[in-house]
Amino acid sequence: MSGLRRSIGGVWWIYLLLVLFSILWLVPVMTVLMTAFRPLSEIRDGWWNLAGATFTLDNFVGAWSEAELGSKAINSAIITGFSVAATVTVGALASYAFVRLRFTGRGLLYFLLISTMIVPVQIILIPLLPWFRTLGFADGTWQPFLGMVLVHTAFGLGWAVFMMGSFMAGVPRELTEAGQIDGAGHWGIFSRIILPLALPGIVSFAIIDFVFVWNDLLLGLTLLDADHAPLTVGIANLQSAHLAQQDVISAGALLAILPPLALFVALNRYYVRGLFSGGVK
Amino acid sequence: MAGVIRAVGRARARGEGRARPGGTIAYLFVLPAALVFALFYLWPALNTVLSSFFTWSILAPWQLADPATWQFAGLGNYVEVLTDGRFWNAAFNTAIWLVLFPIIATVLSLAIAIGIWEISRGARALRTVFVLPMTVSLTAAGVLWVLVFNPDFGVLPAALGVFGLDGANIDIGPLHLRLSEWLSNPGTLELGFATVNLVNLSAIMPAVWALTGFGVISFTAGLTAISPELIEAARLDGANRFQIARHVVVPQLRGAMVIVAVVFVIYALRTFDVVWVTTQGGPGTDSEVVAILLWREALAFFDSPSAGQATAIAVLLSAVMVIGAYPYLRSLLREAPE
Repeated sequence: MSGLRRSIGGVWWIYLLLVLFSILWLVPVMTVLMTAFRPLSEIRDGWWNLAGATFTLDNFVGAWSEAELGSKAINSAIITGFSVAATVTVGALASYAFVRLRFTGRGLLYFLLISTMIVPVQIILIPLLPWFRTLGFADGTWQPFLGMVLVHTAFGLGWAVFMMGSFMAGVPRELTEAGQIDGAGHWGIFSRIILPLALPGIVSFAIIDFVFVWNDLLLGLTLLDADHAPLTVGIANLQSAHLAQQDVISAGALLAILPPLALFVALNRYYVRGLFSGGVK
Repeated sequence: MAGVIRAVGRARARGEGRARPGGTIAYLFVLPAALVFALFYLWPALNTVLSSFFTWSILAPWQLADPATWQFAGLGNYVEVLTDGRFWNAAFNTAIWLVLFPIIATVLSLAIAIGIWEISRGARALRTVFVLPMTVSLTAAGVLWVLVFNPDFGVLPAALGVFGLDGANIDIGPLHLRLSEWLSNPGTLELGFATVNLVNLSAIMPAVWALTGFGVISFTAGLTAISPELIEAARLDGANRFQIARHVVVPQLRGAMVIVAVVFVIYALRTFDVVWVTTQGGPGTDSEVVAILLWREALAFFDSPSAGQATAIAVLLSAVMVIGAYPYLRSLLREAPE
């Protein structure tokens, strides 16, 4: 628990500083809430003037339909949902192999996967664009989504194997050996013993991967056309257009913030545990 | 690099004692991952490295399988990049990030974590305030801070206005601060050999706001692991609050400090999102960082034959990152599953 508190008294100035800082930290949040929920004309002289304030959802309607952030939000949901599902599935299978099996190329593949946690995404970024054209992912209805999901999966695998692998390695060997004696094969051990026991680790990874994919700007900006672009790209484009659309942009930013935030609040325990297993992406 | 290979070797040697020979089934488990990784990571990465030795554009890309596209440039792209003033300007701005962002974010999160650790009531609520922005994308964080900087209804100009400081010019020695136009020209700091454009700070601020939470979480974990007896002993020896913090608490946080610093340095090196939405690298190239320059070289104009230079920058950036984060990479590999 708290260390110095019990031994030395007088913490009022620590409270004071912390409260000051947390107010500073909340200023951008208050700003975006007020800008998103109030008409732009009302906040011209400062959103902190609350006299006669009206609150409206008009900005969200504007952001969703006129600024076309609604379709972008759906794109984000598609990309994120499938990317997380694919990364968790493919990554969990590979993690089991790394943790419990021996095979040629194990060390090399592990080294390459872990390196991707440090090497910047720029190392793959530019050739991906012609590569998408070659593979037919550059246009179409679902093809760009598929391409994007595969790139996110490839990029998330290092992290997946690192995190889920460490949780799987924590499953007691006696349990899997008992399974073996009962005649279970690798698939049985993986699906009926390892997966249920490593579930907290898998959930932790899924949350972090969700936040990462949902928040990605660079890959979406580079690889996807306007019809498939995620919410982050939509917001960034509105922002750089330099039109006075702060109300709509604020509503859009809130839309982008909400899903990862809700996930964090609902599954806080798993999120923090995941972060402890080795840094952020 | 040999060290890393040795570390892998050791991990594997340890692993072989415990992991079972998998036979064909092992490959079935690892095949989907290997396939996706090979096609959408290794292959493009290989293309980046190889194509950095050729002249090409996004519309007429270099292709390994098609010698007709091979317009060999040798080290030309690297020479071009390394003799380009714009690259060194971007490298300098990235260096500003590299110095300022990890220091500000680490010191702030350490102070906040220790502060929260010392109080009892409200600790959880306070910690939440600093941790929640971690889930916010850097894109959205940039949008939020652009609003804070807004000259009409931003909190920063308004707060400065209360003290009559909005738009004030402050010159202290080499520092020329203009308390206005936060996203275009808030002033400069003359270093003698170079000029720091303070507009970079306007892009660094949102990143500090968003990522300090990671430091707070990591330091909090380190703090809860310190034994109360240690602090009690220091107190009995007559140490005051600051002496305890400085000589007992902070040394115990060495491990957390390394992880936090490395993560922040890695972030600073490849920063893109937050610069893109706040300043777009501008005005001009005043806040253009390496990741932005790279993107523009390749993708601002699809027919521009400078994609090779962009991939050369990508190779340089990755090399710096791998060399700089090499000890961290080794520590990650040491945790290899057995």
